[in-house]
Amino acid sequence: MTAPKRWVSLTVKIVLLTLLLLWTLVPIVWMVLSSFKPNSVITANTPRVFFTPTLEHYASLFSGGNSLWPYLMNSLLIAGVSTLIAVVLGCMAGFGLSRIRIKGKQHLAFWIISTRMAPIAAVIVPLYLLFRYLYLLDTHVGLIVAYLSFNLPFAIWLMTAFFDDLPPDLEEAAMIDGATKFQAFRYVVLPLMTPGLVTTAILCFIFAWNDYAFAQTFSGPSTQTIPIAAAQLLTQTGIDWGKLLAIGTIVVCPMAIAGLLVKRWLVQGLTMGAVK
Amino acid sequence: MALLTGKPSARRQGFELAMMSPALLLLALITLVPFFSIIWMSFNDVSLMGGLTFEFSGLDNWQRVFTDPDIRSSWLISLFYFLATVGLEMILGTVMALLVYSLTRGSNIIISLLLIPMFIAPVIVGLLGRFMLDPSHGLYAWLLNETGLFDGNILGSVGPAMVAVILMDVWEWTPLVALIVLAGLASVPEDILEAAEMDGAKYGQKLLYIILPSISNILLVALLIRAMDAIRFFAIIFITTNGGPADSTKIIPIRLYDIAFRFFDLGYAAAVGITMLAFSILVANAFMKLLKRQEKRS
Repeated sequence: MTAPKRWVSLTVKIVLLTLLLLWTLVPIVWMVLSSFKPNSVITANTPRVFFTPTLEHYASLFSGGNSLWPYLMNSLLIAGVSTLIAVVLGCMAGFGLSRIRIKGKQHLAFWIISTRMAPIAAVIVPLYLLFRYLYLLDTHVGLIVAYLSFNLPFAIWLMTAFFDDLPPDLEEAAMIDGATKFQAFRYVVLPLMTPGLVTTAILCFIFAWNDYAFAQTFSGPSTQTIPIAAAQLLTQTGIDWGKLLAIGTIVVCPMAIAGLLVKRWLVQGLTMGAVK
Repeated sequence: MALLTGKPSARRQGFELAMMSPALLLLALITLVPFFSIIWMSFNDVSLMGGLTFEFSGLDNWQRVFTDPDIRSSWLISLFYFLATVGLEMILGTVMALLVYSLTRGSNIIISLLLIPMFIAPVIVGLLGRFMLDPSHGLYAWLLNETGLFDGNILGSVGPAMVAVILMDVWEWTPLVALIVLAGLASVPEDILEAAEMDGAKYGQKLLYIILPSISNILLVALLIRAMDAIRFFAIIFITTNGGPADSTKIIPIRLYDIAFRFFDLGYAAAVGITMLAFSILVANAFMKLLKRQEKRS
């Protein structure tokens, strides 16, 4: 390429990249920034970048009658337990599924993937009826079960993909040395699975933490999660934007950090092992 | 999934079965029971009006699914929404990936920044959309107003509201496509690219004849993953327009939710839900075929 041509292509590249970065980051930066603005600045007619920061919105979230604490605790408990169950059972099943050779294994795999892909709106309808019969509406158990309906197949599928990447020679060598299958799994395979387990756990937690539709339908006064707190403020007349943006920041920041921590395995995780 | 690992299955597989059974039994319980319930519900008149009532109604719900003009228009809106979001995400995501791939420095930090939207809860994406587009103090509404492009309530106008909810979805999910494509770009044969450059190939030619063909499989994976999620999630529209104005953004999951929890007609909602399930099973089927093809290749 000749020198001027190179300049042109470099400029195009920089301009495009800047536009993409602005498109992606402006709403996020604006949310976080505005969550520290006093209400008078948020609702001003012209946007303002300079202001005296305040923590009043965060303070008001955690004090007074309708505190965010119970919502936060519900979110942590429900997402945490459903993640734990999904990862433990998914890890065991993933190992079994990766190593077993049976007829119809493909049908099994297809069943698992299609439960993960089932549209949430379609799953909600029968679950609502069943939960009503079983008195599981407005219970933590109900929401944990609802989240397992997508996190369990996801964890099984993803852990299978991670175990598939690990040649069985290792376990076979351990077994020739006298280890049982369980010992080979526990002491040889499992320690190598840390990235897979952490990736699966973080993604399961994010999916559960971010859910709105299930929580909106199945939760009640004692089980509402943070996304519900945001939605409740949003449907009021005279929206308290300061408070809402503070909630948004609290919901988003931990998940963005957790997600980026496993960036290396993210492709494998989010394509369920189809891309390495 | 590796189907051909190790030696023939002469040895006993009790351990593998024991490891699989707890998860599979639980999964069967929490997916098969709802699955058979939804089928049974679709043949019944299940109403929540004044207590739960269950009454066999034969094919009534099914007849409605295929004749209800509201359902047909919701599928059409879904189709449009689906083509627009997934199409834009594929194009923008590929551009994003190609740009990041061409960077010699700083690509790690830039891709990290670009990925952030996909970790954000859809309900917060909707909240952000409403905040940015708020007619009286939203940053984007202000910009559109100042530049004379649009003046008024974006989410309250037929047309602009659709564009807005499409762009919110595109904002959230383009990074996922970019991430997947970026992984695929690592497999583009470097030597062929160099040879093409020596022969004086333009960037467009390299893209069309070398890069895109060698990532076609990856693009298909991205397309399928997005296709299945496009019908799974509906929180962004739920929280911004809830199908309005004048039903112009009422995609099929929103319609279903309305039928079930606003009109409490659960039997009919079940029938609509099954048609959605059928769609996702088609996508899952395509996904499995693709995986098998990849396995053969490797």
